[in-house]
Amino acid sequence: MKRNKFKRLAATIGGAVVALGTALSPAMAQETLVIGTISALNGPGSEWGRGVDAGTRIAVAEINAKGGLVVGDTTYMIEVKSYDDGYKPAEGVAAATRLIEQDGVKFILGPLGSASALAVKPIFEEEGVLALMNSYSPKTLANNPKYVYRVLPTTTEYVNQIVGWVKENNPDLSNVAVISPNDQTGWDSQKMQVQAYGDAGFEIVGKELFERSSVDFQSIITRLMATSPDIIELDTTPPSTAGLIIRQARELGFEGLFVKIGGPGVPAIVEAAGKEFAEGTIVYAAADTSAEKYQWMEEEYAKIYSPPMNAFNVFFYDAAHLLFASMQKAGTVTDPDAVRDTLVTMTPFEGAQGALVWGGMENYGNNNQLIGPTFIGMISDGEEKIIGRVEAN
Amino acid sequence: MLQLLIQILMNGLMMGLVYIMMALGFTLIFGIMRIVNFAHGEFYMLGAMAVMLLFSTLGINYFAAVLLAAIIVAVIGMVIERLLLRQFVGRELNGMIMTLAIAITLKAGATIIFGPQEMSIPRPVSGVTNIAGILIPNDRMLVGAIAIAILVLFYFFLRYARAGLAMRAVAQDWEAAALQGIRPQRIYLLSFGIGCALAGLAGALMAPIYTVSPFIGEVPMLKAFIVVILGGLGSLPGAVVGGLLLGVVEAGVATFINTTVATMVSFALVVVILLFRPAGLMGQSR
Repeated sequence: MKRNKFKRLAATIGGAVVALGTALSPAMAQETLVIGTISALNGPGSEWGRGVDAGTRIAVAEINAKGGLVVGDTTYMIEVKSYDDGYKPAEGVAAATRLIEQDGVKFILGPLGSASALAVKPIFEEEGVLALMNSYSPKTLANNPKYVYRVLPTTTEYVNQIVGWVKENNPDLSNVAVISPNDQTGWDSQKMQVQAYGDAGFEIVGKELFERSSVDFQSIITRLMATSPDIIELDTTPPSTAGLIIRQARELGFEGLFVKIGGPGVPAIVEAAGKEFAEGTIVYAAADTSAEKYQWMEEEYAKIYSPPMNAFNVFFYDAAHLLFASMQKAGTVTDPDAVRDTLVTMTPFEGAQGALVWGGMENYGNNNQLIGPTFIGMISDGEEKIIGRVEAN
Repeated sequence: MLQLLIQILMNGLMMGLVYIMMALGFTLIFGIMRIVNFAHGEFYMLGAMAVMLLFSTLGINYFAAVLLAAIIVAVIGMVIERLLLRQFVGRELNGMIMTLAIAITLKAGATIIFGPQEMSIPRPVSGVTNIAGILIPNDRMLVGAIAIAILVLFYFFLRYARAGLAMRAVAQDWEAAALQGIRPQRIYLLSFGIGCALAGLAGALMAPIYTVSPFIGEVPMLKAFIVVILGGLGSLPGAVVGGLLLGVVEAGVATFINTTVATMVSFALVVVILLFRPAGLMGQSR
């Protein structure tokens, strides 16, 4: 009897020692890794902004569901701190400062939008915080940034190919008017559009800028109509706003072609324009929405935000996976320099839509631009149909 | 060229009518309660949200949905007036801060309930009417016609209805009005409700034409503010004149130059009015 009691006591103590040893063993340590996202979660452009946050969160949920991110001897459960910059530089700076100062974050996805991206770039560079962001401004990658990388192909990467495709398939059209938002994003992207359309042999008959808060475009369209455009290029106009422009232009008698070689967002365009008016619009598609992986991502997105998901989600999903893979290979989650040095060697990296590579030397003087395949879509019966694929520059 | 000018004029008049509906409520509330209602844009947003739920989600007839939306917004406004604003009548600064707090709360509440994204509502009417080359979208024409009908109704209400006369009396001198047996508190409640209903009506009418989100009230609020400064804070005829003036000037400058300059010009007008005629085009100095 005594012997049995002793055995039980020994077993209990032994179990406790093993458990304690396990808990203290560095090989099994579990910690939390906090990363940040900055993007517009409200207002115009938030269709894209939520893609930054949700894309990151879907990748994080995938890793956490598998038990966490194993880096060296430690397993990290990943936590995402999200801040809304409303597409505004001042709020982007506030978000970046809070992430760095208060939350102690060293890795950030976002912001998205040139105004905000250019405002926070010096902060990331000075603080040594690794940022995977998007902005349509070439200035994002100017002066060889050490900590700023761009994870979406921008107008620079695909505008010539898509404009070339438009010219080839619509040889009778010659006059183009470009409408863009009146901010850094719009100024830079409009410049590229004008250049590309000009190079392809089109004549630019109008260049319009509008405030992002605008919802009424009758005046702009009335003026544009006087210049008889064959094509209205909607550039980086947010999708809902693009839908409003399409609707109002059709109502005022525009019968030409709409092209949108800027941020994607067909569901929001169709919702705002109406199926009938949106029909035939040529769009930069960003991703093949019919792909199985894309549809899986849409289901995951619906668990975080109200659908529809924007294709930008895919890029930040890929970027987050690329970042985590780099951390694993570098063996650290605290040293942005070491992670960055590994990050740049990680491509070709298999993303959700195909192989991704670092590039951009010709355009920016460095290879901080992540490049992948680009798609051309057409709105048909309210849906986006992929009608072409081009390899980005 | 003449055709273009007429098209611009029509664009401006259509916008002006919506501005008037926003500004009328805004200036009515100020004229009677001396409260600068910074939540006015949020009542516009509530009207749009209400019509989205009633018409788009529940499938109620559009015209009934617009009417119901205006009533719902009026009731919300009256509850807010009774609970939060009554004590600030005549205290302009405190009232202004309270309405700012209400605006932020309503916007945040709408974001929590409806989400931050922009939503679209199916349009009850579509198509375009072509009058001698001048194109007017039918939905805007409908909004314009309803806005004119409401303005006329509102005019007769203020001129001939007992409640309307009482509102004018309180606006002129609430103490003298009280001596005549008018209960100013009831008039405050009524005028705040009507002011909010007008904003809600504007939102409900414009919802199918634009997009709907918790943030759509910001621009109409700004326009209402410009209109009442132009026309004279507290002046109802001033709101009509200011609204039409702003609509036409904006449309003209935006068409011939661009929208950024149009915004600058509308504020430049405000500056000129404040410098040379601080009471506005039709307002009276107190």
